[in-house]
Amino acid sequence: MSHETETEPAETVVAVTVVRSGGFAGLTRRWGVQATPADAQRWRALVDDCPWDEHGDRCTDQRATGADRFSWTVHATLPDATLRADLTETQATGPWRALIDAVREVNGAAANASS
Amino acid sequence: MHAIVPPYLLRRLAATDEPHLAAAAEAARATLAAPRAYHPSPATIDLSVEGDALVVEGSPDPDRVISDAEQREVLPGRRVRREGEVASGDTAVDEAYDGLGAAFDFLWDAFDRASVDGRGGTLAATVHYGERYDNAFWNGERMVFGDGDGEVFQGFTGSITVIAHELGHGVVEDSGGLDYQGQSGALNESIADVFGALTEQHSLGQSAGEASWLIGEGIFTDAVQGSALRSMSAPGTAYDDDVLGRDPQPAHMRDYVETTEDNGGVHINSGIPNKAFHLAATALGGRAWERAGCVWYLTLTGGTLARDADFAAFAAATTATAAAEYGENSEEAEAVRTAWAAVGVTSGVTRD
Repeated sequence: MSHETETEPAETVVAVTVVRSGGFAGLTRRWGVQATPADAQRWRALVDDCPWDEHGDRCTDQRATGADRFSWTVHATLPDATLRADLTETQATGPWRALIDAVREVNGAAANASS
Repeated sequence: MHAIVPPYLLRRLAATDEPHLAAAAEAARATLAAPRAYHPSPATIDLSVEGDALVVEGSPDPDRVISDAEQREVLPGRRVRREGEVASGDTAVDEAYDGLGAAFDFLWDAFDRASVDGRGGTLAATVHYGERYDNAFWNGERMVFGDGDGEVFQGFTGSITVIAHELGHGVVEDSGGLDYQGQSGALNESIADVFGALTEQHSLGQSAGEASWLIGEGIFTDAVQGSALRSMSAPGTAYDDDVLGRDPQPAHMRDYVETTEDNGGVHINSGIPNKAFHLAATALGGRAWERAGCVWYLTLTGGTLARDADFAAFAAATTATAAAEYGENSEEAEAVRTAWAAVGVTSGVTRD
């Protein structure tokens, strides 16, 4: 292992933060990942799969039916863009769920502790 | 038509020519003549004789259906226990069944309300929702309970306050609803907590002074430093944990939390109306559902509460209800007025 590799911090090219609030308990939980060039392609693909245009910047028509459902906010920081989506629990499916679960999985057991 | 008195009794009443039952006979004939689609509802009929009169007392029975999502996030799941069936042996199934029964009994005994819809409708619940799912919710049609993660939460059916809270959301919705955002959302949450606390107190036969006023007691694992999720008597004190942090609920308007999370902090700022209810109930003493609970319930179901009502509107509405029910200068009206002033929702200026 070279000296340079040991001392130079890896460049973060994709960062994703997931925030879950609401639910019966009303607790807010946060998970995050900072991808390095080595795994940037995978994270970029997960981010690109999500329909950000449909859920950006606090859409007004996003309230879930019923009560005590979770609310999700997903932030992604890319070299060329900063993205945000606000999702109800019923919207957090498909590619959103894949991205959310991947971020939580990186955070290990604590992430898996709450579905 | 959801009838409490079955048709055979109506027909007997309609046919009677006893002079002292003339009004009842006329009412029975009118009821039988009304066009209806008959949907039988289970009921308990008590017959007794007082002097020369036959006394018929009817009370509805619940119609519970519990389903099992089998760790998937698909509703309603597989039906596993219906009304009247023996215990399943599955703890979550049987706790949900028993909890819904207690909540049904409370609604009928306290408010003469038969089920969520007031017409004896089915109480539907699904348990074992999702994998390690950390939540219980009302989806507009049914109550849904996860099993918890085993690290923070150990399931949600173990506390009757949680079950009755979700049922309470159904009553709120059936009564016209409160928008699930900001202050109206916090009122929605608070009223659900009131249903949760009162159901527990009713089932335990507790007075306002004896009650714990805790919501979600026992759903945390032993690893969490906290007694419950929320405290109606002392909002902000239910837990203080290394991982979860401290219970963020305020008890006064000066501490109102502005946030974009949690639909504008509906589970946080509900601490303020929760404390107002606790103050009114404990000031009046006795069984909290009989006076304070009655005022809140009549306000909710009176048909005049706007969906976007804020705390001030609800304070004015409950004060007006108390005055209408008990009198402008009554102990009840004064307790409600004082409670809202104490949490900073109203100015505290008293009437002349």
